[in-house]
Amino acid sequence: MTKIKRILIANRGEIAVRIMKTARLMKIETVAVKTAVEPNAMYLSSADVIFDNTEDISEIPVFLNIEKLISIALETSANAIHPGYGFLAENAYFAQKCIDNGLIFIGPSPDAIYKMGNKTIARKIALAGGIPMAMGSEGNISNEEEAVAIAEKIGYPVIIKAASGGGGRGMRIVRKSDEMEKMFIIASKEAEKAFNDPSVFVEKYIENPKHIEFQILGDTKGNIIHLGERECSIQRKHQKLLEEAPSSSLNETLRTKMGDMAVQIAMAVNYHSAGTVEFLLDSDKNFYFMEMNTRIQVEHPVTEIITGIDLIEQQIRIANGEELKYKQSDIKLKGWAIECRINAEDVQSGFAPDPGKIESLFMPTGPCIRVDTGVQTGSSIVASYDSMIAKLIVKGKDRKEAIKNCKMALDKVWIKGTKTTLPFFRMLVRHPKFIDGSFTTSFIEKDLEKFYLNSDYEEMLAAWLATKLFVEENLSDDSINVNFEHGKVMSPWLLNKRINQF
Amino acid sequence: MASDKLQIKKLYALSSEDKKFSFAIPLKHSIRIGRRDYEVKLKSDEKFGTYILWKNRKYPVEIVRSSQNKYEILFNDISYIFTVETPFSLKRMKVLNSTRGKTESEIIKAPMPGKIIDVLVREGSTVLRGEPLVILEAMKMQNEIISPANGTIIKVMARPNTNVMKDDILIEIKL
Repeated sequence: MTKIKRILIANRGEIAVRIMKTARLMKIETVAVKTAVEPNAMYLSSADVIFDNTEDISEIPVFLNIEKLISIALETSANAIHPGYGFLAENAYFAQKCIDNGLIFIGPSPDAIYKMGNKTIARKIALAGGIPMAMGSEGNISNEEEAVAIAEKIGYPVIIKAASGGGGRGMRIVRKSDEMEKMFIIASKEAEKAFNDPSVFVEKYIENPKHIEFQILGDTKGNIIHLGERECSIQRKHQKLLEEAPSSSLNETLRTKMGDMAVQIAMAVNYHSAGTVEFLLDSDKNFYFMEMNTRIQVEHPVTEIITGIDLIEQQIRIANGEELKYKQSDIKLKGWAIECRINAEDVQSGFAPDPGKIESLFMPTGPCIRVDTGVQTGSSIVASYDSMIAKLIVKGKDRKEAIKNCKMALDKVWIKGTKTTLPFFRMLVRHPKFIDGSFTTSFIEKDLEKFYLNSDYEEMLAAWLATKLFVEENLSDDSINVNFEHGKVMSPWLLNKRINQF
Repeated sequence: MASDKLQIKKLYALSSEDKKFSFAIPLKHSIRIGRRDYEVKLKSDEKFGTYILWKNRKYPVEIVRSSQNKYEILFNDISYIFTVETPFSLKRMKVLNSTRGKTESEIIKAPMPGKIIDVLVREGSTVLRGEPLVILEAMKMQNEIISPANGTIIKVMARPNTNVMKDDILIEIKL
C-alpha cells in the first residue's frame, strides 16, 4: 500500500490549519485551495502547495464540488484527501470517488459513512445491536398525519429529525399535535435544503438531557477503542458552544458501559478512522444512542488534551493502513479540558451572525491554553462560511481548575471588528449551574435570563464615554471648562469612524 | 445659547433599559467608586485600536453610531445605547413621554443579513405572539422570525428566495 505523501485539504479555516500542523510534524506535504471569497485566508500560509481557484466564482463553494476537488488533488499530485469537518466530510459518494481515483480518503469507508449518515439506517443498526435508543418511527415518515399517529403512540413531546441530518439542521421539537404540520414542513424543507434529502423521522424527545459523546478510534484491522467522553450540553438550537472532557455526570462504571456501547456501534459498521458516537443522558442516568458522526469533530481538542493523543495523526496513520498502537487499557484520562467556541455572533441579538473584518486579535498563550484558529488581525469573517473565529481550549488538573483558568483566559482575549460570543462565555463560567455541572441541553433556553456578562462598572464606563462624546460635540464652548486636549486627539478618529459607519 | 450652556452642571446618560448615570460637568477623567476616584483613560493605538484603560485593564470600545444625543457604544463586546440629556431636556422628555400614546403597529426587521426561505403569513392574517412569520437563512442556519405580539399582518415586504440586508423591513403588524 502506498503511504500518504501529500494531502489535499478539502477545507478551510481553523481545521485546515489544524490538519496541516500535524501533517508537517509527520513530514507530509499539504495542498490548500485558495478561493475568491478568502484569497488572503490564514490557512493558506500553512500549506506547502497552494492551488489557486480564485477564478471560480460559483456560488457553491469549491469545498462542496466533488469533481473539482478530485481534479485539484490529481493535478497537484496529492495522493490523499482530508475533508476536515462540514462540507464533504460525511459524503459517502465523495469518499468513494476518492478511492475510485486512486486517492486515499482520510476518514472511514464510504459504506460506514453512508450507514451512519442515514439516521434511519443507523437506528436500525443500533436497534439490532441492542443499543438503548429513544422510541420512534421505524423508518422515514412521509407526511404529518403519519407523524401525528406515531407521536400519539409514543407520547409528546417528539422530535422531527432529518434522516440525512446533523449539526442541528432539519430538527424540530413538537409538543402538541396542532404544531405538527408546521414543524413537519419546516424540518423537511430545511433538510432538503441542507442535505438534499427531505426525508425525516420522528422520535421521542428526551427532556432536559445531557449531550454526551464518545470519541472512537478504529483501524482497518478491526481494532476499535474509545477515548472517553466529551460533554457538549452547552448548546443553542443544537449548535454546540462549549465542550468539555471528561463529563462531570459520568462515573467510571457509566463511562465503561457507554464506551462499550459506542465501540459496539462502531464495530457494527466495521468502522475505521476517528468517529464520534453521540448519546443523550437523562436525569436518571439512562442513556440513548442519538447518532454517529463519521468525521473529526470541531471539539476534538478537548479529547486530545486529556488523552495526549493527536487525533489527526491517528486518522492519517489509520488511512495509511497502520494498526492502532493503543489498546483500550492504554487509554487514561488525565486532567480536564474546556473548549469555548469564539464565534462572530451578536449575543445580544440572539446569537445572530456578525460577519466582518477582524481589526485586531490577540489570543492568550500559556501552559494551560491552546488556541485553534484560522484567523488573524486583518482576516475577514465572511458570511458564506461559518462564524468561527477561534477555539479557546483551556486545561486544568480538575474541572474547578479548568474553569478558573478558562475565566482568566477569556479576559485576556482581545478581538475588535466584530461582536463575539465572549460575553456569553464570561457569563457562563461564573454561572452556578455551570460551575456545579447540573446544566443540560436546555440550559441556554430555559435557565438563562441574560446571555452575557456585563458588570455595572462596565456599563458606567460606557455611559461615561457617551457623555464625553456629547460634551465634545455639543458643549465645545470656551465658557465652560471642558478638557479639550482629548477632544482634539479624538476627532480624526471619530470622523473616520463615522465615515465608515454611515 | 451661551448662557444656557453655562448653567449645565450635570449630564445624564440614560440607558435603553432606563438606567440613569449622572456625570458632573465639566466631565472628569475619573469615576468614583466608594470613596476612591479611579482614573479613566480613552486611548487609541495601532495595535489595539481604541480602548478604555481603567484599573489597569484595557477594554475595547467602539462608537457604533451616534446621532444627535443618542450614542451606541460597544464596550467589551457588549452594545449599550445611551441618550445623553441635560437637566432641562430630561425634564422635557419626561413630560413628552407621559402625553405620548402607545405605538399601534410593529415593524419586523431582518435581524441579520440572509436569504428569505419562506414567508408563512399573508396580508390580513392574524398572528399570535410567538408565531413564526418568516424563515430567514443566514450562515447555513434557518431562523424563524417570530411575531413579537398578537395582531394582524398589514404589510408583507419579504419575498421568498430574495436576499435581505440587516434591518430590512420584512413585515408590518397592526397591534
